[in-house]
Amino acid sequence: MMFLVIGITLSLPSIGLLFLDNASQLSNKIKYEAEISVFLTKDIIEDQIEFIESGLKKNSLIKNIHFEPKQDAWDKLQTKLKLSSLEGGISENPLPDAFFISLNTLDSDQIANLINDLKTIEGIKEIVIDGGWIKKLRSILYLIKVGVYTLGALLIAVLIIVISNTIRLQTLTYQDEIEVSRLIGATNSFIRRPFTYTGIIYGFGGGLITLGILKVIVIIFNLITHRIEDFFGGLIVIQNFNLEESILLIFTAILAGWLASFIAAKQAIYRLEKNI
Amino acid sequence: MDVLQDINLEIDAGDLIFVTGSSGAGKSTLLKLISAVERPSSGTIVFENQNINFLNKNEMPYLRRKFGMIFQDHKLLYDRDCFDNVALPLQINELDPSDISRRVRAALNKVGLLNKEKLMPITLSGGEQQRLAIARAIVSRPSILIADEPIANLDKNYASEIMNIFYSFHQVGVTVIISSHEAPTTSIKHKEFNINQGKLNLEKNVPLLT
Repeated sequence: MMFLVIGITLSLPSIGLLFLDNASQLSNKIKYEAEISVFLTKDIIEDQIEFIESGLKKNSLIKNIHFEPKQDAWDKLQTKLKLSSLEGGISENPLPDAFFISLNTLDSDQIANLINDLKTIEGIKEIVIDGGWIKKLRSILYLIKVGVYTLGALLIAVLIIVISNTIRLQTLTYQDEIEVSRLIGATNSFIRRPFTYTGIIYGFGGGLITLGILKVIVIIFNLITHRIEDFFGGLIVIQNFNLEESILLIFTAILAGWLASFIAAKQAIYRLEKNI
Repeated sequence: MDVLQDINLEIDAGDLIFVTGSSGAGKSTLLKLISAVERPSSGTIVFENQNINFLNKNEMPYLRRKFGMIFQDHKLLYDRDCFDNVALPLQINELDPSDISRRVRAALNKVGLLNKEKLMPITLSGGEQQRLAIARAIVSRPSILIADEPIANLDKNYASEIMNIFYSFHQVGVTVIISSHEAPTTSIKHKEFNINQGKLNLEKNVPLLT
């Protein structure tokens, strides 16, 4: 029964982590183009704009270039805000010319270098990196990850308490043996040993059950998504934990079991010491 | 109110000691102090030239292993057979299983219980249970045997059997300390410490600490 309790309890954060892992992988796969906006100086001359444009076109990191002249930008803005230049009290177009560029790379170092290079070009006033929605997605995933880890820590605390209590009850059952052993010269670690072994076995067995539960859930989920993959326009397959992660899970479970039983046995012996 | 007061006594190796006195006089407490199960509230207990008051908790188990103890309620473990009961001290000392087997059987043989090795203690008679407790106490061949009222609940036949076992150990040099609420009847040379309401009764020819 203990094995089931441990197994199911550990499954909760594990499922969370599993889905997080897969979601991160998915978001990495989604085609994402880095975009930057290059704003030019106010009184830039036509030749300089052409010079910049030809330079940009030659850059291997740059995929697409879209030039928006300041007049177009100004018209768009006015339409959006429903203003005409006289009403707004603005006589002059305050907006600059701009290049909207999409890049061939996602590497932040390369992007940073590119921006530094571009900044040195005369006529370029400001460069803004667009993140867009993918950044939001990634931040949300990060938040969820923190949440899952917090949940995991709390559940492990619960586990430790539950195992600790079970071991404590066991020490009560073996009270006579503990008492006699102490009287005839057993060390405390000798007395603790069978209890800590039990705790380790609880952790190990529970961890195995968690892995089993995860396996079943992954299989079921993949069966379901296989049926509805048309809606997603592609195959979504959830991958289970790899060997490293599985071992880490089992190790965490064993550690929790050991810690719980160690504390429980130590306390039980201490209480007995005070009575003898 | 202290259970024992002003106790001064000396026990030499190989002595046969009787601690006598009525129930509640403090005999058990004295034995517990000697075997380091309890600590004195004042005074010192010197064992093998070592003041055992200053032993820390980690050293206590190793001191206790020097004694073979038979408790008033013998404290046998009823969830295991006779063999495993006697084997307990050797398991604590972490001996090899083959050594354990040999020694357990030797101890059972000494108390005449070898043929009952696989029986559970509950099936033994009172006298046999007492003998089993003795077997457990002697299996690690301690140099000091301490028995707290070993024949209190036994009838005369069993009682003399048990006492003979103790005398035989004394004969081979083991220090034997026995508490009883009756006066000793043996002719073997012994010392008696009579305790009356927590104090040593000096009238009974008790050798003082010199």
